[in-house]
Amino acid sequence: MLRKSLSLLALLSMSAGAVQAQSAWTGGDDLPTNPLACDGTPAAAAAVDYDGGTPTDAPDRNGAEITVVDVPKLIGIGYFDATSKGIAEAAAELGNMNATTDGPVEANIDDQITLIDNYVTGGVDGILFAANDPVAIAPVLKKALAAGINVVGYDANSEPDARQWFVNQAEFNGIAKSMIDSLVAEAGEDASFAIVTSTFTTPNQARWISEMEAYTAACYPDLTWLETVEAQEDNILSFNQANTLINKYGDELKGILGMTSVATPAAADAVTQAGQCGSVAVVGLATPNAMKPYVESDCVKSVVLWNPVDLGYAAAHVLRATADGTLNPGDTTVSAGRLGELSVINGSEILLGAPYVFTKENIADFDF
Amino acid sequence: MTLRKVFRHETILALLVVIALIALDRQSDNFLTLDNILNQGRLMTEVGLIAIIMTFVIVTGGIDLSVGSILGLTAILIGVFWENVGLPLPVAIGAGLVAGTFAGFVNGIIIARFRVPALIATLGTLALYRGIAEGVSQARSVRGYPEWFYVLGQGEVLGVPTQLWLLGLVAITAAIVLGYTTWGRTTYAVGSNEVAARFSGLPVDWTKIAIYSASGFAAACAGAIFVSRVSTTRSDMGTGIELDAITAVVLGGASIFGGRGTIIGTLLGLILIQALKNGLSLAGVKSDGTVVLIGAVLILTILLSNLFHRDTNR
Repeated sequence: MLRKSLSLLALLSMSAGAVQAQSAWTGGDDLPTNPLACDGTPAAAAAVDYDGGTPTDAPDRNGAEITVVDVPKLIGIGYFDATSKGIAEAAAELGNMNATTDGPVEANIDDQITLIDNYVTGGVDGILFAANDPVAIAPVLKKALAAGINVVGYDANSEPDARQWFVNQAEFNGIAKSMIDSLVAEAGEDASFAIVTSTFTTPNQARWISEMEAYTAACYPDLTWLETVEAQEDNILSFNQANTLINKYGDELKGILGMTSVATPAAADAVTQAGQCGSVAVVGLATPNAMKPYVESDCVKSVVLWNPVDLGYAAAHVLRATADGTLNPGDTTVSAGRLGELSVINGSEILLGAPYVFTKENIADFDF
Repeated sequence: MTLRKVFRHETILALLVVIALIALDRQSDNFLTLDNILNQGRLMTEVGLIAIIMTFVIVTGGIDLSVGSILGLTAILIGVFWENVGLPLPVAIGAGLVAGTFAGFVNGIIIARFRVPALIATLGTLALYRGIAEGVSQARSVRGYPEWFYVLGQGEVLGVPTQLWLLGLVAITAAIVLGYTTWGRTTYAVGSNEVAARFSGLPVDWTKIAIYSASGFAAACAGAIFVSRVSTTRSDMGTGIELDAITAVVLGGASIFGGRGTIIGTLLGLILIQALKNGLSLAGVKSDGTVVLIGAVLILTILLSNLFHRDTNR
């Protein structure tokens, strides 16, 4: 029996090896892409019918004091501390919303579902969530809608009909444009670059890479795509992979794109230790705290992400607008306090805006 | 003697459950309602199935840490058999259950035949099975099961959640087997004194292998129910469920050294934990506070029980 399991394991690792051997592959997925215009003109929003859900017999909550629970993927990490900070800020500003944050201590689908279930039983007016799994969370959210509760998601979506609205922090093509634009600004329009990603099958990373490919082809055809390497969201492996890229391509390498919050600081570290700051640009998705040392030492100029405080703030405003009845299916914008008017995309999503680029000037203002 | 009988662990636990129910009911109007009770039953079925068979495992003096990984592996296999291999869903579920039982059987063989301590053997398979689940799934979920499949995890039969019937059936069968049959007595004998059991001519090895296989089967059933309840398959399903199950069994009065434990105790343990989780949440206590309280209740119950059982405690 042991032998059987072992041979099965060997088989599995071999098939993983076969995937890794295809290094020419960029690491994108094969879904259709939708690159943004090179000069940043917003794409004409294709009119998509509202595909969100509707609460059953929701009471008239217009202007009324409402109790809201915010259920992030997990609690106790900087990112979701920042989103709850934004929610609390919006609640204080609105004055008629009682918002509390309660989430599982680990990013566990079952704990999150049970938690929401309890709040539905206990009775709240609104639920804000960031789903650990889009499908697994759907039944309990539908139950909340059936109980007349207003449901709005942020950060990680559920199936559309299980919630009313979803605040989308950044579209894949928006992230792709910011990444490539930042790279071109630092390394030039004819630079050669490589990518450090997590694994080729990680859905978000594969999507971003595909969109980057499409955007590059349309706007910067002179960019040379050297290689995409996998680093499993592992610190040491990411560092080694970035180091290998620097040694392998030498002067040819002008930029490294980090696709995960682990790969980007590791790549910055590798470039710093190789003494290549200034000649190899590092651009990537990462959280500000991890990048502060490199940004402050001028080795990294731009870190692409969104602002999670704004994300929570927008989600709270969207929920209030939904409860008040000022945001209805078919609307194209919603007003979100200090963020102004946000536009509705893809039927029932609200776009936070263009991704946020952290630079030396603003990175000290963020702590997550 | 009679006093000791009255104050056996299960009685103390039952008293605690009643106190907890009354106290929590005073905190929230939504706690002791039929809807909520049935719903909580639905939520605790997966842990319940695993904990009931875990009682047998712990009574033999063993432990099974791999149940969460078997749950995840079964869930993935059901999805892969159905979507990628193209088997009809009932056949895929059957194959998943067989695979889960086989995983438990492997545990049994390693423990009984090769004399590897259960803690180490199942710690190894905990990693092994989870690794296989992740390898097979390639981080992809399987979704879009046919509507009839959701009856198992989300539907009702005669007004009671479907899976709760299954839990009840398994609980009654297990209570009878452990309490009133030769099988049950063999289980206790193996846990009390394995050497003596062996010299008495009891089939010690086969008892262990059968119990670990049953544990794999229970985890596999829990996996199928879990998939149906959340309508998707992921390789990280069931992570940490082994600790929830073991907590319920130990709270129920089973000795981790073997030879002692009952199904009714385990069920009371399950109910107490579920009631605390749900009731405290309804009363507005946040989830981190609830975890702390459950830990405290576990230690207090065991201390209280030891007060009355100083001599029988090993």
